[in-house]
Amino acid sequence: MTLRGQFALATLCAFVLAAIAHLAAVLAIPYLAEKDAFSRLRSTLSADRSEIIAAPGDLGTWLPYPDPDVALSTCAYTLEEGPVRVSARTGALFQSVSLHARAGGVFFAITDRAAVRGALDLVLMTRRQLDEALATEDPDEPSRDVRIVAPSREGLVVIRVLAAFPSQREEASEVAKSVSCTIDRE
Amino acid sequence: MFAARLPRAFALRGPPIEGLPVRKASAAASALLVVYTFVIAGALGLSSAHWMTNGEYPFGRVGVGAWTVWPRSGSREADPYTRAVNARTGAIPLGVGEGLLLRASVDDGGRALDARCAYRVGPATPQARFWTLTLYDVAGRPVDTPLGRSGFSSAELLRDQNGGFSITVSREAATGNWLMMPESGPVTLIFRLYDSPASVGSAALDFRTVPRVERLECAP
Repeated sequence: MTLRGQFALATLCAFVLAAIAHLAAVLAIPYLAEKDAFSRLRSTLSADRSEIIAAPGDLGTWLPYPDPDVALSTCAYTLEEGPVRVSARTGALFQSVSLHARAGGVFFAITDRAAVRGALDLVLMTRRQLDEALATEDPDEPSRDVRIVAPSREGLVVIRVLAAFPSQREEASEVAKSVSCTIDRE
Repeated sequence: MFAARLPRAFALRGPPIEGLPVRKASAAASALLVVYTFVIAGALGLSSAHWMTNGEYPFGRVGVGAWTVWPRSGSREADPYTRAVNARTGAIPLGVGEGLLLRASVDDGGRALDARCAYRVGPATPQARFWTLTLYDVAGRPVDTPLGRSGFSSAELLRDQNGGFSITVSREAATGNWLMMPESGPVTLIFRLYDSPASVGSAALDFRTVPRVERLECAP
């Protein structure tokens, strides 16, 4: 093969390898990123209460494009030690709870319209934990929990509370801070 | 030893045939070609991945008037590029069923939003329990102006008799709903619908129901 032919072949190989490297990099970024929301909040994994990430009107948050009318708080969770129970009280303000898998995306979202008597309760579990819960459950007294199977073991619970007026900002922050995320041991 | 094997593996040459002269120079040339291949592949692959995950979500966008929507960004079906963008920026997207985000960095005429210009936003919005409209600077922070306001919520607005509204975004004070522009730079408007039927099926969005972004006049 002439040198020119070798060069053309090498260039062709380079493009194919470049495409593979591109895809591998895009797929790997969520697992390698250090500035993603989960990595930033990893230190809060052991906390029992949600922590405010962006208070309404707070311009100093690391969250990109924060909504200044929304109090956003999170609980980082891991399902290693058991299912995680998320309990939120709802009030007069708009409130939503969404579940984000680490490196995955949103897999569940619910608003305060679904609250029963002012409470939103969710139990997050792996498929195996759900099977165990179903197997040990008393068939005459089925659980009333809203059980959600998480696609991965780690992730974030995100709570948004809307302060439509500046005077509601403090209340919105209080509501956002008061969500409990505890390991469910029965 | 490894280097001696490389040329045969990569230069696609068969074993040397007895009696034929072996070109010594091609070993070095082949090694160079291998290095060239990997350098180009790495540079192209990684820089293109960096470039595509550096700003807005590259795929799945829907344009409505001046606004851009990524209907699947808050669902399980979010594509790997969307996930990579979120991982790099630390963004926490709105879930489907929670709300919908519409973003405008251009006006209705397709011209980039500029702090030197005045804009009128309104009068209609898609159905939602609440919505907020926020003005951001180029770094993704809500604008910090002497007025201390970077946006409006649906509850705060002055409306006309028909329920419509008009927000003036300008550097100079205006009557009615006025949002002060920062001193300079490109700006972005983000319109968030909370608890809206449009977040489940963006088919509910059409250009008549989203707010118009009309450019009024520009300072020289």
